[in-house]
Amino acid sequence: MMEYIDNIPIYLQIKDILYRKIISNQYELGSQLPSVRQLAVQFSANSNTVQKSLKEMTEEDVVIPQRGKGNFVTEDTGIVEKLKTHIVTEMFDATYDKLHSLNMNDTEIMNSFNNYVKQREVNHEQGIGN
Amino acid sequence: MMTDLLKVNNLNYKKNNKAILKDVNLNLTSGKIIGLLGENGAGKTTLMRLIAGVNSIPEGVITVNNVSKKSEIKQNVSFSDQLNGFGKNTKIGDIVKFYKNVYPDFSKEKYLEIADYLGLEEDKRISSLSTGTRGKLIIALTLSRETKLYLLDEPLSGIDSMSRKKIISSIIRWKTEDSTIIISDHYVTEIASLLDDVIIIKDETIYQVSSVEDIQEKYHLGVEEYYEQVYEGSVTK
Repeated sequence: MMEYIDNIPIYLQIKDILYRKIISNQYELGSQLPSVRQLAVQFSANSNTVQKSLKEMTEEDVVIPQRGKGNFVTEDTGIVEKLKTHIVTEMFDATYDKLHSLNMNDTEIMNSFNNYVKQREVNHEQGIGN
Repeated sequence: MMTDLLKVNNLNYKKNNKAILKDVNLNLTSGKIIGLLGENGAGKTTLMRLIAGVNSIPEGVITVNNVSKKSEIKQNVSFSDQLNGFGKNTKIGDIVKFYKNVYPDFSKEKYLEIADYLGLEEDKRISSLSTGTRGKLIIALTLSRETKLYLLDEPLSGIDSMSRKKIISSIIRWKTEDSTIIISDHYVTEIASLLDDVIIIKDETIYQVSSVEDIQEKYHLGVEEYYEQVYEGSVTK
């Protein structure tokens, strides 16, 4: 069963999951998406809700509907690149704001991020969980 | 196309001189999944039985698909019957035959598809069914009628989590585009992702009809939280 955040419209949450799948190439460029009903079952959501997510994705040119055939992921790498930048920026925004609220300045944030990445590498080599 | 499917006008219902439902008005379109929410005893089942044409309407008018006669409404609404009328030795196959005989819109093909998905076996007797399987049977029978309005009265109540999951997916899978399904429950979290709209019953009447999205956008609350706050009186429309 899907876990949704209660107070955010579900169509937005579904859109977000589908976008992440497109960016991470689980849904390849130019490939056909599952049918609305299949997605609805997969997301434990109403077809109308899935339809609404797809409608916005179509308006944002990421999904291209083909009459009688279904919905396809765009073949335009530029669009997907932009989408990726957008989502990555959103994630950084949230983290950056949180760190700033701890009174860290930009240099401190950069340094601690560098240290964090190095530590992750060390942990990975030593086989300590990630 | 969204068309008027169900209209309830000035419905009043009393039992032993006590008001169960007062001045209920509703106007629902086709193609939706709607949650009917309210505390135990709020009148959810009564409202469903009235809309389904099971109980007589003492005061007010209910119109489904442009028909208002109780006997005609019954043929237009698929209501999740609790199977109480069947003897405990009745086999599932016999109940299916009964449905086929009583409801001209019952599709055996559709039933077999859903039954296969839910793992229902024709030769099992009612008495041998677990609560979960019984719940699945009720869903399969109700969804197998090809009509425009389906009323599911607490379809997940008392049912184990695996069966609940299957019941929820079968609702999504077999709902036709132009039909409307009303699901009653006092516990909302699990069905929240299914719902387009909610109807909240409070103080013997319809407190509010709203889309789930409007609730999330306007109050920044999930349906469950919103509904609890309505009952506590800590939010206003």
